[in-house]
Amino acid sequence: MNSRNASRWIGLIYVLPALIFVCAFVLYPFGQLVYTSLTSQSLLGGGAFVGLANYQRAFNDAAFWTALGFTARYTLFITPILMGLGLLLAFLVLPNRKIQKFARGVIFLPVVIGLGTSSFLWYWLFDEQVGLFNKVLVNLHVIVHPIVWFTSADLALWAVIISVTWKVVGFGMILFVAGMQSISSEVVEASLIDGTSYLQRTTRIFLPLILRTILLVTLISAIGSMLAFEQLYIMTAGGPRGKTLTTVYWIYQNSFINFKLGYGAALSVILTGIILCGTAVQLVLTNRRAHQ
Amino acid sequence: MKHVELQNITKRYGQFQAVTDLSLVIEKGEFCALLGPSGCGKSTLLRMIAGLEEVTEGKVVISGADVTDVPPAKRRIAMVFQSYALYPHMTVGQNIGFSLSVAHASKAEIEKRTAEVATMLQLDKLLDRRPAQLSGGQRQRVAIGRALVREPEVFLFDEPLSNLDALLRVQMRLELAKLHKELKSTMIYVTHDQVEAMTLATKIVVLDNGRISQVGTPLELYHSPANKFVASFIGSPAMNFFNSKIINVSAKSMDIQLGSTRQIKLNCSGTDLKNGDDIEIGIRPEHITIAESSKRVDISGAISIVEQLGNSTVLYVDSEIGQVIVECGGDTNLEIGSAIGLNFDIKKVHAFSTGGQVLPRHSV
Repeated sequence: MNSRNASRWIGLIYVLPALIFVCAFVLYPFGQLVYTSLTSQSLLGGGAFVGLANYQRAFNDAAFWTALGFTARYTLFITPILMGLGLLLAFLVLPNRKIQKFARGVIFLPVVIGLGTSSFLWYWLFDEQVGLFNKVLVNLHVIVHPIVWFTSADLALWAVIISVTWKVVGFGMILFVAGMQSISSEVVEASLIDGTSYLQRTTRIFLPLILRTILLVTLISAIGSMLAFEQLYIMTAGGPRGKTLTTVYWIYQNSFINFKLGYGAALSVILTGIILCGTAVQLVLTNRRAHQ
Repeated sequence: MKHVELQNITKRYGQFQAVTDLSLVIEKGEFCALLGPSGCGKSTLLRMIAGLEEVTEGKVVISGADVTDVPPAKRRIAMVFQSYALYPHMTVGQNIGFSLSVAHASKAEIEKRTAEVATMLQLDKLLDRRPAQLSGGQRQRVAIGRALVREPEVFLFDEPLSNLDALLRVQMRLELAKLHKELKSTMIYVTHDQVEAMTLATKIVVLDNGRISQVGTPLELYHSPANKFVASFIGSPAMNFFNSKIINVSAKSMDIQLGSTRQIKLNCSGTDLKNGDDIEIGIRPEHITIAESSKRVDISGAISIVEQLGNSTVLYVDSEIGQVIVECGGDTNLEIGSAIGLNFDIKKVHAFSTGGQVLPRHSV
């Protein structure tokens, strides 16, 4: 065995623990998911190999496409809000003064609260009888009568968006702050001497130099939104009339309420494929811009 | 004609005082080097001239106008940073033309002036490259180009060559000297490298602990240092310093003890000196020669280290007054451990008071 081969084996030994972990906790479960999607397996047991029948059924499942449409709409609404607000907050809390450091901590605080807990919190805040949100809006004369947030699909969607934004916007903000702080202070000073205004500095120095962080936050936000479940399960329960049913919620209903594990697995594989495709497109587009 | 004037400048960071009541005048067209060790306040001073650092007390005046509270872009200055500070996402051309672009100059104007500067700095073939695709020297030239395109009144350089290797540093030094000769602009250059300051500057300001230690031309500082700090900072190999005692002091000269047996007469004196006082003397390595005969020897010792540099040989000699550094001809061939006699060029010996101030020389 020559030294090149030996070093290959040594390299393999070093990555073996990570490889075993990935195989045991990612590849094997995913393989099982794909296998289950090809069966009529039920949560109660039994089931036979059915080939692509579950996929065919998903293709004709109107409820699935409605849920996917709602999830896409939710993602398209909430991602720009999280990005825009995260960036705005990052610019506001960027300087390392005491007040800005404190503000960073306060804005980041909801990130460490569980999504379920925060959804319950906001569910009560939006309550038409005892909710603080309605009371504030009525007292400020923004509305005359308390709004029943969860009887309209649109209002329910916005209620969820507000709650999730409060919960996760701090995460994006911290990543943006870290990205901006990694820009050399001399580069920023050079732009000051070159005569840039605040807006020019933002658009021509900061934003292009944190493009990769923007991509990362977009991906995290978009993937998180495509997998939305807890917030809608707790706040709207998919209502009114299933109009706020997300894809994962529909997968959950099929797998664990209707016991159709095989069909639920097929829907999961389809959702994984959609997210992977979306991520790949986004990566290619942003990488191209980053190299332009 | 006064171009840049610093009037009683003080800079404090909380309790720490980085620059203390500093006043300085830089004439139009001068190449002024701010020289000093790390932490002496030279970069802080440059940043205050640039407007990147607030002035705690005092005034910065450029071309007769008080610019203390004027933003950097409106001071008609350009700055070259130590790390080049190029915009990594822009090409060489975009980097050079950036200041014109933010000032909304026309595309044709930006292209014309960028091309002029690029040709001048031999960057014309690299205009489409990104900073990451350039060598250190090329990046530094782009940084200079970015400064040149603004046609500033004053160029500020903050240790611009310290990230380059030795060979490239010499090359860039020559290019900067040529540039100053061509443009005849006022240039202020921060460095801790005395060779850079000596070779480039027409005026050197030596800073120590946020105060000016001495201002002068390179040769003035070399031959007539105002104090021990300047004497030790300028010159390589560094000046030798020895403790001594005054044996006999008069108005214009004094006899001092050198070692246990030798006395030498120096043409310098001080008003408050008296016989028996401690003083320190300093002499540059090139002003010490190897004694040719045993007739007259100022100090003798044994060679501990020999550094052969080709054009000169540096000897480290252990003697009764301490280690003596001697610089002699490149072809000197002496063995480590051999005994040696040394003679001092008495006219070149500097005497310093216990406070470190040089004692004034008198012509005899």
